[in-house]
Amino acid sequence: MALVGNLRDFALADFLYLIDRGYKTGSLQLNRQSAAATLYFEKGKLLYAAQAQERESLGEMLQRTGKLTPQQVQQAVQLQQTDGNQSLGTVLVEHDLITREDLQRHIQTHIEETVYSLFGWPDGEFCFNAGVKLDRDDVQSPVPLGVENLIMEGVRRVDEWGRIKDHIPNTDMIARFVDQPLEKAKSINLTPDEWRIFARINGKDSIKEVISRTGLSEFDVSRIVYGFISAGLVEVTRPRPPVPATGRAGAGAAAGAPKRSLVSRIINRIRGM
Amino acid sequence: MQTVKMVISGAVNAGKTQFIRAISEIEVVSTERKASDDTKLLKGETTVAMDFGRITISDDLVLHLFGTPGQKRFDFMWEILSEGMLGLIVLVDSTRPETFRETNRIIDFFTSQRDAPYVVAANKQDHENAWAPDELRLALRLPAHVKIVPCVATQKDSVKNVLLELLYVIMQRSAD
Repeated sequence: MALVGNLRDFALADFLYLIDRGYKTGSLQLNRQSAAATLYFEKGKLLYAAQAQERESLGEMLQRTGKLTPQQVQQAVQLQQTDGNQSLGTVLVEHDLITREDLQRHIQTHIEETVYSLFGWPDGEFCFNAGVKLDRDDVQSPVPLGVENLIMEGVRRVDEWGRIKDHIPNTDMIARFVDQPLEKAKSINLTPDEWRIFARINGKDSIKEVISRTGLSEFDVSRIVYGFISAGLVEVTRPRPPVPATGRAGAGAAAGAPKRSLVSRIINRIRGM
Repeated sequence: MQTVKMVISGAVNAGKTQFIRAISEIEVVSTERKASDDTKLLKGETTVAMDFGRITISDDLVLHLFGTPGQKRFDFMWEILSEGMLGLIVLVDSTRPETFRETNRIIDFFTSQRDAPYVVAANKQDHENAWAPDELRLALRLPAHVKIVPCVATQKDSVKNVLLELLYVIMQRSAD
């Protein structure tokens, strides 16, 4: 069953979080005005991303980045035509025009840049089809990418105060690590400013206090914390209201908790309806 | 006669009126019926004040069901309604991701006001494009301990199931 919606309401960062945590396999189709992009995921990791309007071929990309000369590209294209069904990537590797690792690194960078550019879409229809797999030869398929870093970098490039405010409505909110944050953090690269904030998240101090300790602006701190939230490292909570001194400290029962017998009576009645 | 109440909340068109109507033993009382804003586009008869239903538990105990207004401009009523509630059901339209943000706002409001037991009912699960409860948990970023119950608000058995799931949560927190 397809998951459909609009990026205006459910941001790309939120969707990538869902893919990651839901360990999803499938294709994500994005459409905005005349632009379109497709992303493929396997078990929560990104395999491939491309924009439909891309005009640059693999050969052109490698030439632009200085990895191949125009003559080498031309030679590879001719060999590809001779070899028949082989992809250009396979021809390049088999004829030692590029190493497999170099080729994959360039494709990976291209995929990452494609995804980052999608973070700039303020809206756009999305449709995720679970189970759809990428049909692509091994040489041109880079190592599956964890989406946490993509989210962090993508969010760094987003300047949407409104979206940030959805997650951090005010600076009284308290940031704390979600379960096993260190495990997730191992694969995330942080900038010095991000580290400054990361190190001050303790589940007790408000965002306001973090702002005052780091000397960074409210926007910068909120944007960085939003990045942590989007990557699933951190969650924010409201400060707990103070417990009245006379409050009952029952074992697991909130103050004013209903009696068990009353709840049982309601359950029995509902069951019998 | 003792009365207890449960609150049914959710974004516009989440299915609150249908939910209460499916289980209430009285004709659901809606205090106003004419939508005056863009909610008209979503359904002909939207909730602009609140819905009220009732289930008689016994001769001396009645359960009242209150549906909150979906529109943001009626936020002030949420606090009033949530006073003394037994528990809260937050309905989410599983077919409309554009309402997830509003759903989060509602959950955030009620949980910040008081430590009330609540469940999230993933409504419209009979629709082809409904997001599954597991996907909704991720989309709404709900912690693992919060129950997300599949729901079809037009079906009485489904509504009963949601109420029972909430009651089991309430039971865990009840006093002897």
